[in-house]
Amino acid sequence: MRKMSSKEEIERALEEWRRNKEGWPERRESFKTDAGIPVKDLYTPLDVEGIDYLRDIGFPGQPPFTRGVYPTMYRGRFWTIRMFSGHGTPEETNERWRLLYKEGETGFSAAVDSLTFAGVDPDQEVEGATHEVGKEGVPLYSIRGVEAMVKDLPIDRMSVALVVEPLTSAAVTSMYFNVAKARGLRKEQLAGTTQNDILTMTIGYIPWGSLKPADLLKLACDLIEYCTPMKEAPRWNPINFTTYNYREGGIDAVQEIGMGLANAVAHIEELLRRGWRIDDFVHRLAFHLSAHRDFFEEIAKYRAARKLWYRLMKERYKPENPEAYRFRFHVQTAGCSLTARQPMVNIIRTAYQALEAVLGGCQSLHTNSYDEAICLPSEEAVRLAVRTQEVLQEETGVGSVIDPLAGSYYVEALTRELEERIWDYFLKIEEMGGVVEALNTGWLFGEMSKAFNKRRRDQESGEEKVIGVNCYVLEDEEPTPPFRTNPRAAEIEKERLRRLREERDNRKVAALLDQLRRVCEKRENVLPVVSELTAAGATLGEITSVYREMWGIWQLPFVA
Amino acid sequence: MEKKIRVLLFKPGLDGHWRGIMTVSKALSEAGMETIFFGFKTVEGVVEAAIQEDVDVIGFSCHSGAHLEWARELVRELEEKGARDDFLLLIGGVFPEQDHEELRRIGMDGVFGPGTNTADIVEFIRERLESRAKKGGEAT
Repeated sequence: MRKMSSKEEIERALEEWRRNKEGWPERRESFKTDAGIPVKDLYTPLDVEGIDYLRDIGFPGQPPFTRGVYPTMYRGRFWTIRMFSGHGTPEETNERWRLLYKEGETGFSAAVDSLTFAGVDPDQEVEGATHEVGKEGVPLYSIRGVEAMVKDLPIDRMSVALVVEPLTSAAVTSMYFNVAKARGLRKEQLAGTTQNDILTMTIGYIPWGSLKPADLLKLACDLIEYCTPMKEAPRWNPINFTTYNYREGGIDAVQEIGMGLANAVAHIEELLRRGWRIDDFVHRLAFHLSAHRDFFEEIAKYRAARKLWYRLMKERYKPENPEAYRFRFHVQTAGCSLTARQPMVNIIRTAYQALEAVLGGCQSLHTNSYDEAICLPSEEAVRLAVRTQEVLQEETGVGSVIDPLAGSYYVEALTRELEERIWDYFLKIEEMGGVVEALNTGWLFGEMSKAFNKRRRDQESGEEKVIGVNCYVLEDEEPTPPFRTNPRAAEIEKERLRRLREERDNRKVAALLDQLRRVCEKRENVLPVVSELTAAGATLGEITSVYREMWGIWQLPFVA
Repeated sequence: MEKKIRVLLFKPGLDGHWRGIMTVSKALSEAGMETIFFGFKTVEGVVEAAIQEDVDVIGFSCHSGAHLEWARELVRELEEKGARDDFLLLIGGVFPEQDHEELRRIGMDGVFGPGTNTADIVEFIRERLESRAKKGGEAT
């Protein structure tokens, strides 16, 4: 057998190679990843020294899960094509979902409007309520809206993601459960996800009249508790730590996963405090990550995140259920990387980002439509976005092999580097008392604003290139025809609520709302009574108003 | 010392996409302007504050798709208070280019879509306020 080269030989050869290329200038003085990690010209076996295959990389479906959470990955089943979608009225959203289903989508995901997000009814005396109905997503103000949204869709076979946050997660999820029940389905068989993420509602997106972080955490944990340890909906993912939404603010891959882990820990600690055992709930916690512009760094990020979750479980919580060690995640391609200028270029950006997610082993994927920096997606744009995933599945062959980038000197070295940096960032948040404290003090807002101000400076100076914005600009560009939501949506939804209030048992609703007040006062789990409320036709605004009345509104510690 | 340009910024309604407005706020203050970020407030409250604080510019950010409605409401409220011409009005955010003209027609002086360089906003504010001051000076 031929002798293998030794470490010393490689070192010597590398040195010689470097000497030989002196006088070959490079494009720039130094290269770095999006997270600022220095990038060398070349990675060799020397960069993966100390990485032990069985200990640090291992096999898919086995610790430390670097190569994927399941043993077969896409050879068993492709990732779910799950498009985040909703506009106008529930009926129009239903129509769009049918189109997506027909085009090959394999999971649904509801994008809601700003009122649903904030838990406001269109007929409440709240500023803006009328202007914004159905504009950013589907209006889901009562069980009737949810019923119309999923009418005749195969929700017995397809999972549904409800993208609502702690303020409205109990109400909207219970509306969905009640609708499914009326269709003859049992809660126990329903598959899906509620986003239910406190950081989305605070540092990601700041809705009107938010509650204090501790109250949002309480509501988030109420839903987890109800679905999982109380076994009301054991197949449901009651939370999706949506690091995507914070990443959209401009932070980097290290901060994204660091904040996500710290967020998960806050929920785990709260549920343990409530007296549940780790094995009662932890296997249902899931994540929703971003796919951003730095190709290899994003792939390394997914691999590092899986390893870190495994480490967190193994070192700290030690669950017995092997499912608990699997870091399952949905991916959304980066909305903030899209441009309104030359929007067709967004198709290309999205395709690369989708490939990152797939090479990184995601469980489900949303691909953005090319017109999303301008308006909600048109039918043409969203069809192309679905096709982007279908090309990956059917034509490229990337799903034939598991974790094909393992063993790449660069990807393995970057995975290790990210793992270390993320863990340090996570510990930093832990040391300041966890995410609730970091929200209360404003530290997390500061991290966000530092990040987006830096992005702005980098983009305006041209340090961070954006095609069509700071380079390769077209002077005379024909604007893309915008998709417009139904201008009558507010009228239609107000009428839907008027009829509901006329037809429901108003005394029963009032009595149940009183009961919710008592539950809030005693800080018991809100789900049982909220579930009764939504079945009785109580509206989202009525339910959320009780939280605001009982617990008060949060004054945000803004750091500009 | 020259008086600092004062800018009041806000997010109308319920929409909570906060990155854009905060980025602009920071850029304007770096350019030496005094910015007041008013958060998520009613248009009525914003107009009252703008008058009371004697600002030069009112700007808002809209990602909700209701940009035309909000622009109309802001102008209507200013007209009711008799302050229609007292401020330079700006809008930024995510909305189709096809609506820029309508936004100007409604009364928005500066309309800034996605990808705007903040230096352009700074320059716009300075130039417009200067030419207003000149016109004002000639009239008196």
